[in-house]
Amino acid sequence: MSRETKDNAELAEFGRFSEPALLILVSLAEGPRHGYSMTEDIEAVADVRLGPGTLYGALARLEARGLIEPLKSEDRRNPYRLTALGERALRSRLDSMMAVARTGQRRLAHT
Amino acid sequence: MTWLLQLYPARWRERYGEEFRTVLARQRVSVGLVFDVLAGAIDAHLHPQIPHSSSNQFRGEDTMTLEMLKRCATGGPKLSPSERRIAFRLSILSALMIAVLYIVLTKIYREAPAVYAVYWTSIFFPNFIYQQTVYLKKRLWLTQTIVLGAGLSAMYLFMLAVCVVGGK
Repeated sequence: MSRETKDNAELAEFGRFSEPALLILVSLAEGPRHGYSMTEDIEAVADVRLGPGTLYGALARLEARGLIEPLKSEDRRNPYRLTALGERALRSRLDSMMAVARTGQRRLAHT
Repeated sequence: MTWLLQLYPARWRERYGEEFRTVLARQRVSVGLVFDVLAGAIDAHLHPQIPHSSSNQFRGEDTMTLEMLKRCATGGPKLSPSERRIAFRLSILSALMIAVLYIVLTKIYREAPAVYAVYWTSIFFPNFIYQQTVYLKKRLWLTQTIVLGAGLSAMYLFMLAVCVVGGK
């Protein structure tokens, strides 16, 4: 399996959490954020309101696989940031989605 | 609403509790939100995510909860392969026995309610035998006989009553 495919597969293994995980990675691509800030950003970007159960289910998976990491914080509301692995996984996933979107649009243009 | 956090495993609460509480407190209460939190709690028990840095810090409480959930998911107490084989054979044997009994009774008594009651009891009989064998495996033979006998008698009497009332 190539590295790009492997990176892409990281998120695909998340099951029902794969979409929330992708949205979290997109949100963190701009810089470190804590949980509530992520939900606000995701709602603004994707018009999706993640519930806390879904948000932390996805966050825990991302952290466990080393795609994000918590930063030290004084008030225990740890902000998170993308790791190098997370950045690669996000790039790979977005590339794959863009390839699908381009193909879809090209085919629609011919109909 | 934050009391729902108690449904999550202790280790999980220790790691994400404060942040989770903050996010939860800022959400508008709705059925969807409650469902989301409950589903998250079930997921946290069934699929505990352990960060690389603290994989050896899982505490006994979490292990116990997981063990309980596993027991529920697999349908009962732990069985060795040989015990499972015995329970399986007993349930097959009981199914054959009751099938033979039903055929014999049908030949003799035809369509009597008591025969119909045997038929309906036979549907649950093998499963009942299996479950009882599994749960009573460490009990005395006398206890097993009494519980099995009482259970089967109660089931048969119930089916008999249904057949008698239904036949009128």
